[in-house]
Amino acid sequence: MTDADAAGAAETADHEHYEAVVVGAGPGGAAAAAALARQDVETLVLERGVDAGSKNVSGGLIYAEESAPYTIDGLFPDFREAASERPVDEYYIHNVAGDRVKTFDLDRVHHHDTDWCDSVLRRRMDSWLAERVHELTRETGGGLLTEVRVNGLLRENGEIVGVTCDEIDPIRADLIVAADGVNSELARDAGLMDWDDPDDWFQGVKAVVDMDPDVVNDRFDVDPDGGAAHLFSGDLFEGVRGGGFLYTNEDSLSIGTVFHLDSLTAERAEPHELLDGLLTHPLLDRWLQGEYEEREYSAKLVPDSKKVAHPSPHRGRLLLVGDAAGQMQAQGPIIKGMNHAVTAGGLAAEAFVEARTRGDASKAGELYERKLREEGVMEKLRPRRYRASRAVSENDAVNRLGSALIDSPLGAAGLRAAEGLAERAFNSPLLLGMVPDTRFSYVTVPSRIAEVLGEPIEERSYADSSDDADDEDGVRPPDLADRIGDLTYDVGDPHIELLDESYEASGAAVTACPVSAEAFGGGCYRDERIQTNGEEKRVVSLDTQPCIECGTCAVVADTEWEHPSGGKGVEFKEG
Amino acid sequence: MVEIDPTEHEIADLGPKVNGVDDIEELEAMLELEREGPDRDPVKTLIESRIETLEAEAGGDEAAVDPAEVDPAELSLAEFANMVRDVDDVDLLRDLIERERDGEDRDGAITQIENRIEAIEGTEQDEDDEGPEYVPPEEKHPDLDHPTADKTYVEGVSGETYRDMWVYCETQRGELVDASKEILGKARELMDGYADRYGDEEDVIAVLIGDDVADLAEEAIAYGADRAVYHDDERLDRFRHKPYTEIYAHMCRDFEATWRDYHEPRYNVFPATHNGRDLSALVQAELDSGLASDCSDLYIEEAMISNPAKTGTPGDSEEFERVLHMPRPDFSGFEYSTILCIDKPHRDFHPQGASVIPGTFDLPDPDPEREGEVVEHDLDLPDDWFQVEVVEYDRLEEGVDLTGHDVIVALGRGIGDDPTEGIELGLDLVGAFDDAALGLSRGVITASYEFASHVEDYISEERQIGESGQVVEPEVYIAAGISGAVQHKVGMDESDTIIAVNEDPEADIRGFSDYFVEGDLFEVLPRLTAAIEEGGSVAAMEGVADD
Repeated sequence: MTDADAAGAAETADHEHYEAVVVGAGPGGAAAAAALARQDVETLVLERGVDAGSKNVSGGLIYAEESAPYTIDGLFPDFREAASERPVDEYYIHNVAGDRVKTFDLDRVHHHDTDWCDSVLRRRMDSWLAERVHELTRETGGGLLTEVRVNGLLRENGEIVGVTCDEIDPIRADLIVAADGVNSELARDAGLMDWDDPDDWFQGVKAVVDMDPDVVNDRFDVDPDGGAAHLFSGDLFEGVRGGGFLYTNEDSLSIGTVFHLDSLTAERAEPHELLDGLLTHPLLDRWLQGEYEEREYSAKLVPDSKKVAHPSPHRGRLLLVGDAAGQMQAQGPIIKGMNHAVTAGGLAAEAFVEARTRGDASKAGELYERKLREEGVMEKLRPRRYRASRAVSENDAVNRLGSALIDSPLGAAGLRAAEGLAERAFNSPLLLGMVPDTRFSYVTVPSRIAEVLGEPIEERSYADSSDDADDEDGVRPPDLADRIGDLTYDVGDPHIELLDESYEASGAAVTACPVSAEAFGGGCYRDERIQTNGEEKRVVSLDTQPCIECGTCAVVADTEWEHPSGGKGVEFKEG
Repeated sequence: MVEIDPTEHEIADLGPKVNGVDDIEELEAMLELEREGPDRDPVKTLIESRIETLEAEAGGDEAAVDPAEVDPAELSLAEFANMVRDVDDVDLLRDLIERERDGEDRDGAITQIENRIEAIEGTEQDEDDEGPEYVPPEEKHPDLDHPTADKTYVEGVSGETYRDMWVYCETQRGELVDASKEILGKARELMDGYADRYGDEEDVIAVLIGDDVADLAEEAIAYGADRAVYHDDERLDRFRHKPYTEIYAHMCRDFEATWRDYHEPRYNVFPATHNGRDLSALVQAELDSGLASDCSDLYIEEAMISNPAKTGTPGDSEEFERVLHMPRPDFSGFEYSTILCIDKPHRDFHPQGASVIPGTFDLPDPDPEREGEVVEHDLDLPDDWFQVEVVEYDRLEEGVDLTGHDVIVALGRGIGDDPTEGIELGLDLVGAFDDAALGLSRGVITASYEFASHVEDYISEERQIGESGQVVEPEVYIAAGISGAVQHKVGMDESDTIIAVNEDPEADIRGFSDYFVEGDLFEVLPRLTAAIEEGGSVAAMEGVADD
């Protein structure tokens, strides 16, 4: 509006319209927006963070697969130079039992179908992508807006026609790409995803640890333009099903742990303590050498694509990509999410443009679904082999039998005889696709491998650094209060409502929430006892101030869960 | 030091501020402050782009080609087009054609110049012509409804005289609101500049409507008005849409008034407060003009307009003078639009109207010596303007202010074993001092504790100390059962003396306390209270701490 005619005229009743609205500026949203803009589709991208990447966390490896129709550097040519940390060409898994460890080189599985693989920190990566996306989409008459939270779908006569936002008026669009992450409110509004079963999710927590680039090169024995990834499994984690990882960044390390949420909840384990268990393990001391400066603590929920990757991730004009559609492949040491989000984003754009060319944009969803299948994405996310073997291998009786077998002298002899075979098994994408999700494969097998084949962890000699007080007990990670204190932010109005405050309904959140803990008053969820008429009741109370928006409590507690408004809430600097 | 410290401002209101700075060194200093401080990318981009603009302007002056001298052959077509666009002298343009024909003789270049000549001459010819023939809209579009057809001021009003900048001076509880004072100050500055620039002395008119506002009219003059027009009536005690709108609009068209000899005000400026927003929209609609709402700056400048709806002839550009430029944030400050309110053939858009976000302009210092004229507006107010009756009103509580007390007693989750007794003990201790208040940690306020009704009212966010609550610096801060997370610490660690009571000797708060009492607050607080009541000094507490 540039003159009084327009300023004085009554607002038109119709909402603003774009050909495409992309919700969320992570890799999936960025890929979709870039591919749409290149096809001259008028595209508006809405991001709720103060900056793209400020809400985003990942373990930290992004792959470019040879078989994938879209890669991040294909869509954004200077990506690797400008936005990633280090190329990661070494990949190991350490099987741990007590102080014994057996290391396998996972070179083969890491390089299988891999064009390249880089470590990334999401704030830097996503904000770089967002600048490119803004340039591209602006050409089409759209652009990228930050600090706008999309809070639901706009419907007319029951049909999805656009999105509604906290900050701005509703927007209509012919295509809505929900790339709003693992806690996608759009996917839930559309009834495509739910938060019901802890079984469907992993929870990851991560620390970004400061380390000078030269020290990284030296301690990991990598070139200045090289990097390494290490995975950890075995008995480090008090029997909770999951594992740990360590990736080298340019001048930091990403060290984290990922657990099955059902196991974490059942064991009443504290995620931050499990992470500390890894950080303080003698195995890590070979790289940390008593020095530890944590830049950031973060957490996120991870969908288990084997169970929740939606086979038909669309409804009307709404297409889901990336975590929002459960497109996160975690099969043993194969951990790939961002690359699938990029592919899905590209395919969603492609599907829309093709459907429109054929004269019926409403067919975009079906076309997208077909492309996911035909390009092999769905088979990677939900392997048929897993579906076939799950019923048997996740059965408890079979598990116990397996455990008994592998613990027997006979089993140990077999392992010894087949040492090479075990390493090969870890390197087989085919076998990994059917790895059952049980304690057996996460804990029992790796522990047994370490017990039988492992060697004692070499203790670092303390002679030359005896003046460092920390050295006595290895490193000392910050406590939860300090970790939360470093993540201070304005959360605005409480965005999570506790529907049932009884300990039975929501008590699991006290431990499972990565910023809460038993007997800790500074977290989101606190265990409390109240006296009413002489009777004592055990309840939980909620303060959303320290919330890092991981979504765990949406699954394990009885809540009404939403994201904070645009620009509010946690702001990750590393991600 | 820089005049504007970016770290003290939100991004949304920095835009116009930064663009008002012309000194590159100052901008560099601001950029440095931002980098050392919050380091917000959009802010840095904003400052950097301002620096670039200024550098380009500075560099551009040197490099600019002089169309009178230049050899057109040295310029690319694009450069040529850029140069031609800024030339208004037709003779010079004709000369340029000659030089181009003698040189490269590029068709593209010649077309550029011819178009430019046509644009300029077309405009000039219009002044001689009558312009397009006026056809009333009812005749032009007989098939449409014309709901405004009976309004005198919509069509056919053209070329009237407009003068002065009018400022609505809102009052609350018998005082001028700050937002109106800010606008008066800005209006003074704008109209002084206006006089310098155009040689016309026009006035700042303050408009006051209410009950017993005559005194405030004098105050409005002290803040920069040349004349204050007021309407007093006890029925105008509280803001009501109908009478306020009617009175304001009548003032604007009060052709009987002797002090004025013009049709309507040139500019109308309102504060974008709740009432100001309502009134601005109603008044500007009643006056059949436009409104730019929630502006973040104002300036007066000419504007070159090519929109044929405004110039009357497609292809012509026309310069409009004395246009109020009204920048306002769009998309939550993501972009700025500058709104102009411009006449068109056969219809004037005056007054040019704006409402301004409170706090946009600096609060001026009043000058009680300033002289001006106070005019009482004369109009009978019909009863049916007052059909809406205000039966009840309430002022929002200002809340609990914990600052400024000698002592703060703050309670944390250590009261969890018996929350009600914990609060009682805290209140007892508060009562033992002459000037103390009760504070709470966020953990208590967000807990599910059940409090007995006589202490329940104390449990509110108004008493929260810390990052999302109040920041206090009393002489003595007593923290009982508070662990001392960093979010709490930022709200109290400037206190002179900090005394912590906690069962956990490892609690973080120990690290920034002057005295640490290891113990159960349910035992320690009563003893502290007794000690204060006996000794009445901090020294008495030291006795307890040493126990």
